[in-house]
Amino acid sequence: MSKYETVVGLEVHMQINTKSKVFCECSTQFGAEPNANTCVVCTSQPGAIPILNKKAVEAIVKTGLALDFTINKQCTFARKQYFYPDVPKNYQITQSEPPLCSKGKLTINVDGKEKVINITRIHLEEDAGKLVHEIGSRKLDYSLLDLNRASVGLMELVTEPELSSPQEALSFLTELKNIVEYLDTSECNMEEGKMRCDVNISIRPVDQKELGTRVEIKNMNSISGVRDAIAYEVERQTEVLESGGKLIQETRLWEAEEGITKSMRTKEGALDYRYFPEPDLVPFDLSDSFIEELRKQLPELPKIKKQRFINDYGLSEYDADYLTSTRMIADYYEETLNASQDKKAAAKPVANWISTELNAKLNASKIDISESPVSSRNLAKLVSLILNGGISGKIAKTVFEEMYEKSLDPESIVKEKGLAQISDESEIMKICDEAIAENPKAVAEFKAGKERAIGAIVGLVMKKSKGQANPQLVNKILLEKLKA
Amino acid sequence: MNEILKMKVKELKTKICSDEIKSEDVIKACFERIRKAEPKVKAFLKLNEDHSLKQAEEVDNKLKSGAKCGLLEGVPIGIKDNIMVKDESMTSASKYLENYVSPYNATVIEKLKDAGAIFVGRTNMDEFAMGGSTETSAYQKTANPWDIERIPGGSSGGSAAAVASGMVPFALGSDTGGSIRQPSGFCGIVGYKPSYGLISRYGACALASSFDQIGTFAKNVTDAALLTSVIAGKDYRDPVCEPNEWIDYTNDIDNPDTLKTLKIGVPKQLFDYKTDSEISKYFNDAVNKIKLEGAEVVEIDVPAYKYVPALYKVIMCAEVSANIATFDGIRYGYRSPNGISLNDEYAKSRAESLGYEVKKRILFGTYVLGAKNYHRCYHQAQKVRTLLINQIIDAYKKCDFIFSPTTLQMPVKFGEMLPEECDIFLIAANLAGLPGITVPCSFTSTGMPMGVHFMGSRFSDAKLFKVARSFEKISGFDTSKYPIV
Repeated sequence: MSKYETVVGLEVHMQINTKSKVFCECSTQFGAEPNANTCVVCTSQPGAIPILNKKAVEAIVKTGLALDFTINKQCTFARKQYFYPDVPKNYQITQSEPPLCSKGKLTINVDGKEKVINITRIHLEEDAGKLVHEIGSRKLDYSLLDLNRASVGLMELVTEPELSSPQEALSFLTELKNIVEYLDTSECNMEEGKMRCDVNISIRPVDQKELGTRVEIKNMNSISGVRDAIAYEVERQTEVLESGGKLIQETRLWEAEEGITKSMRTKEGALDYRYFPEPDLVPFDLSDSFIEELRKQLPELPKIKKQRFINDYGLSEYDADYLTSTRMIADYYEETLNASQDKKAAAKPVANWISTELNAKLNASKIDISESPVSSRNLAKLVSLILNGGISGKIAKTVFEEMYEKSLDPESIVKEKGLAQISDESEIMKICDEAIAENPKAVAEFKAGKERAIGAIVGLVMKKSKGQANPQLVNKILLEKLKA
Repeated sequence: MNEILKMKVKELKTKICSDEIKSEDVIKACFERIRKAEPKVKAFLKLNEDHSLKQAEEVDNKLKSGAKCGLLEGVPIGIKDNIMVKDESMTSASKYLENYVSPYNATVIEKLKDAGAIFVGRTNMDEFAMGGSTETSAYQKTANPWDIERIPGGSSGGSAAAVASGMVPFALGSDTGGSIRQPSGFCGIVGYKPSYGLISRYGACALASSFDQIGTFAKNVTDAALLTSVIAGKDYRDPVCEPNEWIDYTNDIDNPDTLKTLKIGVPKQLFDYKTDSEISKYFNDAVNKIKLEGAEVVEIDVPAYKYVPALYKVIMCAEVSANIATFDGIRYGYRSPNGISLNDEYAKSRAESLGYEVKKRILFGTYVLGAKNYHRCYHQAQKVRTLLINQIIDAYKKCDFIFSPTTLQMPVKFGEMLPEECDIFLIAANLAGLPGITVPCSFTSTGMPMGVHFMGSRFSDAKLFKVARSFEKISGFDTSKYPIV
């Protein structure tokens, strides 16, 4: 057991999923031509005035409601001032006191143990633009400014320093991302920078009350990176203290490739942001009916959905966990069931197909289930074919391969390739006769009392029928013939 | 001076629309007057003679073909150089924006265009509207047309001087701390600042966002009301703009009984300050004239007037420091060629292009918002602002309008300073978001005009125009008189 305990707090920035930016009418579309999504407001031309996007407020309130926050009805904004070219006004419009949401919580689960993490606040603010210092591998001796992202709405969520291990941070972020994706209030796409995280880490001797010296790691863009960076920092900070050194309060950067953090700047010259109330946006109060309306719009959240899957579909805890791990998977699962002829019978096999075959394929081709070449409707058809004896389970795997490769429906594959299961008794009898004739040794063994010998004959029948013979029928007919 | 230029705008417009007068002739008369007076007054930073004449011709042709006549069809107007007109330069009288071309129209400009007004030129001002004399303009000094050795006031000195000297019948300006009304008083014309939120600020280069309002200059109250009718009204692009329904501010403006039932408050605090003796005298005369009309004049007590200069300075500079931060040389405007790092480039671009007054206010505003000073300075000023507003609200329980001289002193010569309490009765209107209008009152012994100021409660603007018009009728001030320049 270590002498030290780890204290971690997170600041998570998530891009709010709205069509237009938070303070102007520009599109938030990712990947547009540089500066295509800009206007006089988000490039801060003289005389331009921000206007608040109501949808962004709704997204934050929804997120707050889903995480048990108190919604502060007073909506006010502040200017946070600092000079940097990606912030065209040289101040950021954000919220100081009060934020839209105060005091929420999220339950995480690490090694089977539940822990409640308190969340201090969620507030609304605008994103900055992007400075480009190189084009491809070519370093520029100047910088280019792309303001497409400037003034896109962000929700910033700040936790209490209550996480005490890399695994807890990982679990918190995974769970948070899942809930927010369920709410659809942010796409949380970390590759596109739509979810970013600053991590505050300190260690202190077990039993010490005061927090240790805090290190901040800025702009993390992967959840596993957060976990690894915390693990690294804990080790580094422990070494410093163990060797009699002193930690300094600083900002560090995570170098993912090297797996280490590097000092960026010390906190000594802390910035004075000169916050003051934003005079261009009039403070206003959220009405109770506005908040209640949003509460009604909340979708079923993962925990409740999981329980429902267990109760209604008779799934195992494990399957239900997997199927509700993202909203996309859960939606896909239920869409498949809805397209199935016999929902009840399909519930388990569909769960299996999604969590094994489909999951493996999607992972291999690195795409999301929403982009699956096998549509939920086609998967439903496949499972129905198996359930009503149209094809065997073994053939189904071949059919699935085809479905995935060519985005085809299972019926046409079965038809085209002649893969339908043979359940015609006379046809099976014919093949059985051939197999019996070709394998006198096994027949003799069976008749001598070695019942297992039938396996070889069954195998031959299946081989001859290219796997299409109905296995139950084959068994039944062979037994009849051999015992006759 | 051409008689066309002396006409009231409503009359002028009616004649243009009925083809009695050609818009082209109006514009020609304007530029004739400008050619004569402008070399001495220097009210304009830029004139659009060719374009204006072309527009006038278009108006005339359009009307010949029987098209509908806008509220200001074919009427010339001057625009302060801090309001955005698409594809036109907009300098805010700063070196920083010397080559800036506006990519869009301010809401008021769109409304003026729809009404058929013709923009003859851009009027001079203090740099970014910071100043009260138009002397901080990076380009030129504008003279008071009544005495060209004296300041026209500011910051909208160009608009005031242009209207006063008859170059244009009216003009737009912006008023953050008296910037329309003080120069209007100094130049002997009508200057009006609306209730905060009555006119969209979208497209007016921001000085102090919580005080800024666009407003109007005219030779007479009716014209100011007409112009206000055109540019006021809701605008989703300015969140502080109130969603009021459209009002014709000229409606019933000549009602002879307006003053009869009114209570007019005169602040007790007026007598705490040193006031020019002639201003005192003519103001007292004005009070008596109002009484004769049947208004009851009462004394009101607003002790917080004494904090006006300090709290205005703190809040205004705080907002300035943030608003002007966007002028960093990165996306547009002046960029120093001497920068050797990002911060150096910021510093040099700003140091080389911004004037002294602007820098002073940025520094002061930065100071009062610093973490160490915020509560002591900015936050304290906001509390005092609330105190002032509450005292004014209380005063309105005793009266309908607050009446004072526009300024406590006459315009000084270039380079001389006015005392800081000179226009506290104007600035109070900005601090409290209230409408104010200055009306010419009298000529003093030196032949300079002096004005009086009415301040109403929030959104009493329509009534304020009626009160101002009633006073205009009894003031004895000859509005047909123009300075000889």
